[in-house]
Amino acid sequence: MVVLRDGMCPGLSEELVEAFRAADITTVEDLVSSDTEDLAQKCSVSYKALLAIRRVLLAQHTAFPVSGADLYEDLLSSTAILSTGNPSLDKLLDSGLYTGELTELAGGPGSGKTQVCFGVAVNISYQLKQSVIYVDSTGGLSASRLLQMLQAKSCNIEEQMEALQRIQVFPVFDIFSLLGCLHHFRCVGLQQASAGGGSVKAVIVDSVSAVISPILGGKQNEGMSMMMQVARLLKTIAKDFNVAVLVTNTVTRDGNGQLKAGLGQSWSHVPRIRILLQRLERPGSTCSSVRTATLAKSSRQPCHLKEEVDLQCWGRSEEQLYGMSGKRKLENTEPS
Amino acid sequence: MQRDVSSYAIAPSVKVKLLNAGFLSAADLCDLRPLQLSKEACISQEEAVEVLQAVRCEPGQERAAAAGRLTALELLGREQELGAIVTFCSALDMALGGGMPVGKTTEVCGAPGVGKTQLCIQLSVDVQIPVCFGGLGGKCLYIDTEGSFLVQRAVDLAQAAVEHCGLLAEDSEQQEALKGFTVETILSNLFLVRCHDYVELLAETYLLADFLAQHPGVRLVVIDSIAFPFRHDFDDLSQRTRLLNGLAQRLIQMATNHNVAVVLTNQMTTKVWNGQSKLVPALGESWGHAATQRLILHWEGTHRLASLYKSPSQREATVPYQITGQGFRDAPPSDQPKASDDPSVRESGSLSKRPRMEDDQSTRK
Repeated sequence: MVVLRDGMCPGLSEELVEAFRAADITTVEDLVSSDTEDLAQKCSVSYKALLAIRRVLLAQHTAFPVSGADLYEDLLSSTAILSTGNPSLDKLLDSGLYTGELTELAGGPGSGKTQVCFGVAVNISYQLKQSVIYVDSTGGLSASRLLQMLQAKSCNIEEQMEALQRIQVFPVFDIFSLLGCLHHFRCVGLQQASAGGGSVKAVIVDSVSAVISPILGGKQNEGMSMMMQVARLLKTIAKDFNVAVLVTNTVTRDGNGQLKAGLGQSWSHVPRIRILLQRLERPGSTCSSVRTATLAKSSRQPCHLKEEVDLQCWGRSEEQLYGMSGKRKLENTEPS
Repeated sequence: MQRDVSSYAIAPSVKVKLLNAGFLSAADLCDLRPLQLSKEACISQEEAVEVLQAVRCEPGQERAAAAGRLTALELLGREQELGAIVTFCSALDMALGGGMPVGKTTEVCGAPGVGKTQLCIQLSVDVQIPVCFGGLGGKCLYIDTEGSFLVQRAVDLAQAAVEHCGLLAEDSEQQEALKGFTVETILSNLFLVRCHDYVELLAETYLLADFLAQHPGVRLVVIDSIAFPFRHDFDDLSQRTRLLNGLAQRLIQMATNHNVAVVLTNQMTTKVWNGQSKLVPALGESWGHAATQRLILHWEGTHRLASLYKSPSQREATVPYQITGQGFRDAPPSDQPKASDDPSVRESGSLSKRPRMEDDQSTRK
């Protein structure tokens, strides 16, 4: 549905556009789907010229095939796998977040979605020394918690400050500002948008459901179209700028009382990988920071893979995490 | 690459007309005159002017969106600058990281009579403690939907707070501040709005931004309670969810833009799950995402406990508190062993708590 205008392609003059309009042809779509011979007669233009215009317009609006070999080459050279900093989560994700992909965390209130986002942001900015864009739509971003996580990793204040500076926060609270913000990224590029050191490797949107759910449902179906625009923009950003996109979503229960991700059927096709986070309701469990993570959708690993994720693991230093200092008790050294 | 017309904040009916006329992206519209647009898209001239304004000022808006961005380091500075509102219960303050955080939304859930409103009134007094006493010296807007606000109770708590500060006052600056911190000033800086149904409440939240702009000193907005107007009169539950989600987003936006702490109270409801019943906060599971922090007040025998159920910055914790004539306070020392932060103690406590809460509920019914 692109309107025909003069100067869109060589040979498409103003008179011709007028003539087309008289023949009820206003958009490229109309032109391409109409009978060329018939149209040539109606508008009294040469058949050859019309064919040429048609061909140019089609070429302008088409995509080109890429060979699998090129694609593989491209994949090897540009894809990065960003570790989340949590060994069990990395195991679920097949070693981490892949750039160019959309990963979703779904879970109920207090299931640790935001904590995972913090952990990922801190890990990428501190360990990998790359920038992170954090789009916060719930007001849940707490810089003091980020600092706490960083303090567990390093005692050097300068390093902590540098890592914090690499996390760019964009507060948005409604769908239009989210769309505006994403569009801004896409227009000016992530590097300019972030304006920080290091290249942007991840975009985190916490949470995508907070801004979408107020417009979903009811009599208007506009909300659905907005949701798909968000999806399209996120996917384009992930691919074009080769960044990992991490979004969070709520959960609902289906007819059998099973948890499933929110925002309905159409959104469920959007993320490439989906992880369901749940509180561990085990009687007598002593540690409340452990959550179960279930792989609900993935193109690399078998689905329904389950792991126990300890949210406190981001608050621990490296050697504690990998068990090098066997004797120390983890709980006691936790910053409170 | 141009932004789609459909992603702008334009009336849906106008959008459809624009799309039908073949205007897909902002670029198609930018160099048009309103008259031209109204003719081509069959919309009124006023609508055409509005559309063009929305599309053209967009670069400015995008810049504004970009200006709203900040690094986590700047955010850290802002968080530390904003501070928190003390609750006068040191154990709870500790669990919350210094008190109710300003700039965030906090939901307080609890069964009837456990002390939600008491906590709210306490906060509305405490937010006014002068800066030199470690307070915020702010004002409070109290939106009462249940009619449970008691002004004589507010007087009691204000009196106690003034006396408390009077005992603490040492240097001349504090003495000076104390002169302006009286029961009268506390009450005059407390604005009460009574909303009778959800329509009034929604209307009030739309007007709140203007009120906050006129009263920049307001640091606390209390809605007591959010649940009451939304628990009846709704045939269409999906509409309720949508309204509540929209309300939550507006409150978060307000908390961020105007640097206020937003405190909401919520009721509890019984949920039957796998043949067991348990008490959960009302308004459904999706509402659980609405507030940034969730605090659940509950009974354990004769003791009152506050559990921090979700928080982005603090770990989960359960602390005892009591409500005295002076207000919301630390539990007396005899209860202190329960304040232990040891997870195992906490867990065993919560195990024995569930059935008792249900007993409590059933006798009430």
